[in-house]
Amino acid sequence: MTIFHFFNCAILTFGPHAVYYSATPLSEYDTIGTSIKSAVVYLVTALVKLVCLATFLKVSESDSFDPYQELLKALIGFIDVAGLYFALTQLTHRNISQNHKFQAVGLGWAFADSILHRLAPLWVGARGLEFTWDYILQGLEANANLVLSISLAALGSLIWLRKNKPKTLIPIIYACAGIVATMPSITSYLKLALGWHFPKVVGFELFTSLVMAFISWQLFAACQRPSNRE
Amino acid sequence: MAKSQSSALVEPVYSSAIALLIIVVACAELCDAVAVVDVYRLVQYDLAGVPFGSRLAALNHHAASSLFSSSAAAGAAADLSRTVLILPVRDLNLTFIRELLFSVDLCACMFWMIKLIEYLNNPEKLEVLGVKYIEEKKPLGGLLLLLPQVFNPQNIGGKDEAGHAPAVGIKEVLLDLERLLIHANIPYPVYFGFEDDHVNAVLADVKKNDATGQLATATTGGYKLVVAAPEPKKIVSPTVSNIQGWLPGLRADGDSNQLPTIAVVASYDTFGAAPGLSVGSDSNGSGVVALLEIARLFSILYSNPKTRGRYNLLFALTSGGPYNYNGTHKWLHGLDQRLRETIDYSICLNSIGSIRNELYLHVSKPPENAYIKQIFEGFSSVSEELGIKVGLKHKKINISNPRVAWEHEQFSRLRVTAATLSELSVAPDFLESVGGLSDSRNSVDEDSITRSAKLVAESLARHIYGQEGKNIDVFADDSSLSVNPSYIRSWLQFLSITPRVAPFLSKNDPLIMALKKELEDHTADVRVQHEVLDGMFTFYDSTSGRLHIYQVASVTFDLLLLLVLGSYLITLFSFLVITTRGLDDLISLFRRPTSRKVKAV
Repeated sequence: MTIFHFFNCAILTFGPHAVYYSATPLSEYDTIGTSIKSAVVYLVTALVKLVCLATFLKVSESDSFDPYQELLKALIGFIDVAGLYFALTQLTHRNISQNHKFQAVGLGWAFADSILHRLAPLWVGARGLEFTWDYILQGLEANANLVLSISLAALGSLIWLRKNKPKTLIPIIYACAGIVATMPSITSYLKLALGWHFPKVVGFELFTSLVMAFISWQLFAACQRPSNRE
Repeated sequence: MAKSQSSALVEPVYSSAIALLIIVVACAELCDAVAVVDVYRLVQYDLAGVPFGSRLAALNHHAASSLFSSSAAAGAAADLSRTVLILPVRDLNLTFIRELLFSVDLCACMFWMIKLIEYLNNPEKLEVLGVKYIEEKKPLGGLLLLLPQVFNPQNIGGKDEAGHAPAVGIKEVLLDLERLLIHANIPYPVYFGFEDDHVNAVLADVKKNDATGQLATATTGGYKLVVAAPEPKKIVSPTVSNIQGWLPGLRADGDSNQLPTIAVVASYDTFGAAPGLSVGSDSNGSGVVALLEIARLFSILYSNPKTRGRYNLLFALTSGGPYNYNGTHKWLHGLDQRLRETIDYSICLNSIGSIRNELYLHVSKPPENAYIKQIFEGFSSVSEELGIKVGLKHKKINISNPRVAWEHEQFSRLRVTAATLSELSVAPDFLESVGGLSDSRNSVDEDSITRSAKLVAESLARHIYGQEGKNIDVFADDSSLSVNPSYIRSWLQFLSITPRVAPFLSKNDPLIMALKKELEDHTADVRVQHEVLDGMFTFYDSTSGRLHIYQVASVTFDLLLLLVLGSYLITLFSFLVITTRGLDDLISLFRRPTSRKVKAV
């Protein structure tokens, strides 16, 4: 039963990434190299973030929400954005259209995130006799994270790779990018300050990820229209 | 909360699957971390090759709370060999237990009892005692008996949540239960645990599940009880350790005769249904504490040559008490014969701690014997002053009967005058009143022990110093020689948290070292004698363990989850293909083989 449960949770956590890759044209254009490169960039970014957190952050015993600490964490979170920038702009990709580039980068990013943060707890915990809902919820969180990563990559590519954008949309783009980038801080605020339980937090993440994905899709389409007209 | 999630994820196509999923989901609710409880195993021993007690230790089965989960589903109740029953002793029905352990036939019960008595009377009929095992009517996977916290040795203070001592009713139930379990041969593990919040919550849950008629198995989920214990092994050469201390008397110059000796003896080991819980506060912790206090008082008197008496004093803490005072027997045989001959008389202490104003002096020599009369009168006069009643009980020894009910009988068999002071009026049966489950700290009263210790010390002192009948109080209260209640309290406390079943005490056990050190403080010459316990008894180890309670989800749940996930991934795949490549692509995925065939033609 327990290995079975582990198998189920693993499918829930990592399945969507594989499905995404095979269902969309990414597999036709063989963008796996891009994904792998962005996964590596994620790992490096995570390492840098870890070092910064260890250096600057105080370890607090209580579980309360400390604004100063959270602000510091949010600032360090922007290293994430910097990493994504690097992955989108600085890496040499094969000749892929922008449309697919951000998807591949987002996918690789999310996959590395899931592996790093969710594989170890899953292996250790889901195989035990005791049953908890935690691992299923974690899998759902991984799904939400995938959507958020792709949205962030989309917005990032809009900001840095597309030169001619309609002037009115620019602040909206930046605003959405800001919201998506600070998602970790928002969830920790909900968990600690408002005392939301894990299922509620995961529900919120799923909802916002879908909303953000929709908004960034619309923005992307809107920005694509002017270039198509030209 | 769980329901909203499941309805958000599940594909509406599988409507019946949804219903089942929701039911299963409602059952496997969010739970706390695994509960871990200390549990103590029922004793496992062989008496002359006949096995008794629980024969297994490892436990790994689902939990249930009653044999008859629902009478309609009685067919399902048949296979309980993979279930552990959790029974709180509070609500125990003894006839139910008897049915569980023995065959329903009461005559078979009697038959077995008669056989045992027969053996005890005629040791040569050992081979006849190839008693067939009583077939248990209902083979179980295991039994977990929950005792109230009042009986927990770790529960210092010995009071329950309401602050009361345990009711008499439950003590009787425990005594009967213990008697049943000790004399049964049970082929599955039996454990004793204490009620606490975790376990009570689990039990309430299990009862709820059982009420729906669903037995917890691998396919339906529920609670699983796991005790990881190695297979019980025989204890090779169990030792009994006797500790003796010697206080020499004052020998006048020029006197070449040996001084007479008075011995004070108490056995310190116990036996009970759960060796990990046998602390025996009354039987015989009270005797040990009284002996130590008497030794302390006399050591003060004897330290000064002016107050040293003309008697030697011999204090002995013997082991092997429950097993026909085997240790006392070996100790006596180990004593130098000349020393044994100088023993004037010996007082054995056995269970003098409960709240009663009546004690009995048990003797094996007839009461008309002048010496016995003298001893008894000495005790009576002191007891009158203290407000206790002391009665004289005579029980003849049957030399051919191996059963030794009182410690003084071992002395009497070697022609040494001896008597046992006890609150028990009749001789206890074999393996009874030797420190069982109900004999915990709250069944003893410190004041009773203080009074009894004073009774014995005063009587001995008056005899030693020749002050019998005179109005003198040697160990008067508020004097430097008064009986010290805090000494008694602290030793009683120590003994009430230390299980003392002899085969499980090694030669250098901290308890034996502590008793030895204490006697060394009070007496001059302390010796510890290690002997091997009578070969008739074989004990097995593994007396305690940790019980892990897991809440497990059923296989059905995981299968449903797999179904849900599969459909989710397929939906996701189709959705992505349609949005990014168009619907035609999706259809072409399924039509590819046929279109190729068309092309080839």
